Amino acid sequence: MRHFLRVMKSTAKASLISQWRFFRWGGMGLRLFPPLLNLGVAWALYNNMFKGATSTDFVVATNSSDYFSFVLVGSIFYVYIVSSLFGLGRAMFWERAQGTIEALFLSPMNHVAYMLGIAAAAFITSTVDVLLLFFLGNVLGFRVQHIDAILLISGVLLMIFALFGLGLIVNAITLTFRDRVNTANTLMTVLLVFSGIVCPIAMMPGWAQIIGKTVPFTYGLDILRASLIYKSEFANVLSNIAGIMALASLYVVIGVILLERIKKNSRKKAQLTVL
Amino acid sequence: MLTFIFRRGRKVNLSVLRVILAEMRKNYKQFFFTYYTVFWVLILPLGNGLLYYFMYLPFKKTNISFEWLGNALNMDVTGFILIGQLLYAFFMSNLVAGAIFDREREQGTFEMMLLSPANRLAILLGNTFGASIRYLWLMIGTLFFFSFSFNVGIQINDFAAVFLSLLLSFLALLAFGLSLAAFSIQSRRGGLIAIACQEPVAYVSGVVVPQNAIPQTLAQTGYLIPLAIGLIALRLSLLGGALLQDILFLLGSLLIMIVVYVVLAHFLIKFAEKNAKKKGTLALF
Repeated sequence: MRHFLRVMKSTAKASLISQWRFFRWGGMGLRLFPPLLNLGVAWALYNNMFKGATSTDFVVATNSSDYFSFVLVGSIFYVYIVSSLFGLGRAMFWERAQGTIEALFLSPMNHVAYMLGIAAAAFITSTVDVLLLFFLGNVLGFRVQHIDAILLISGVLLMIFALFGLGLIVNAITLTFRDRVNTANTLMTVLLVFSGIVCPIAMMPGWAQIIGKTVPFTYGLDILRASLIYKSEFANVLSNIAGIMALASLYVVIGVILLERIKKNSRKKAQLTVL
Repeated sequence: MLTFIFRRGRKVNLSVLRVILAEMRKNYKQFFFTYYTVFWVLILPLGNGLLYYFMYLPFKKTNISFEWLGNALNMDVTGFILIGQLLYAFFMSNLVAGAIFDREREQGTFEMMLLSPANRLAILLGNTFGASIRYLWLMIGTLFFFSFSFNVGIQINDFAAVFLSLLLSFLALLAFGLSLAAFSIQSRRGGLIAIACQEPVAYVSGVVVPQNAIPQTLAQTGYLIPLAIGLIALRLSLLGGALLQDILFLLGSLLIMIVVYVVLAHFLIKFAEKNAKKKGTLALF
């Protein structure tokens, strides 16, 4: 266990140093512009175009008429999705590009701990972006209606757990198929559309609701919103927690299995370093 | 227009047209049948279209009040977003193709390319043309498919207005893409700049919400980008039934933009080359 934690800590430290030592404004822009666009659109629609006139369906689905705050919470979560897909999801891809992947696999460390370290660093960096968005959101009119601290913390932790599983799966795909951006970009688009980041799932067409319900973040987002914006029934919160836990566990199990498969395949085929 | 080089004692014609065609062919071979193309021309526009459509669902009205030059028109959300996404996807394909010099630098072939007597503007033009052709079939197909399947509410009163709006929007976006590509030679982050430009451009150009709904300073900045003017012209001629005389001012603006951005691209490339010869660091990362 001590060894596991040491690997995790040192990986997170190394990753954080490289992220902040070679800080690029362009990179930060890439991470922040998509959620900022969503926020900007939500702000323009809610305040200028429709003058706060949200539909009854929206009020029923969210127990609130504040669309801007609804999107802000979704956009904050979106920052974590980006870091999971592009940071964690390409961790080993970049090791290969830098020529260090063989050393990584030769070292006797636990590779799940290594991935956890990368995830910790990615999520810490994202938290800085999230704070920036929160600040901007407050300036533009985001108001926390109430805070349920326990629900908020458990929601965030469950989300991170689910994102870690997703990151492991994407890492396996990018490494195996030598894919730099396409998998991450496609998944990001799918999650952005169907997780209920900009619109309550209940208001989407039936087919979109089915897709949304297979994504753990749909449940996670509902938990986060229930802890900050609107009050939700206990049974509803409980079913959301059960939903995200079940799906997140499934993602993590699949991710760990895929990681083991990569290690096995790399020994068998000896093509790990081939770009 | 013709440039010549000597190869094995023979004169070889390197006309601008041949360079454009060769670059188009290269672009087609490298990108057409790849997942990269599928993402940029299919998944992203479709995903974004759905996303922005969903953003309108929580509101009472399904119509958008769209204003331009003091006039106002009510427009259906689906048509508004569809036109926005189609032209935006075209803009994006140009923008990404414009990072060609960055790719050449990465591959280590940038100096070779600059040593060849091929016209630089033709290289860029060929590349962006290639990207446009890759995309055009999708644009036409999607427009027809959505118009008939989702009752977008196409209302055309003047085909010349539609044709000229499309043509001049494409050419203006092509010219704008050329300028951005020429600008990105000055930096080592052409690809990054191109991708980071997506969202700010989409916002100020009225791709998702009309300019009258965003802060006016931002909206006015948007009018410097042909995407904004092209979108107004296309939305009016395709969805608002505008006649040619109604959009003459917009078409004239697009025409001026084509000239300005092509000239700008030409000077930016010259400037980059001059600097490269002086400093000798062009191919360095």
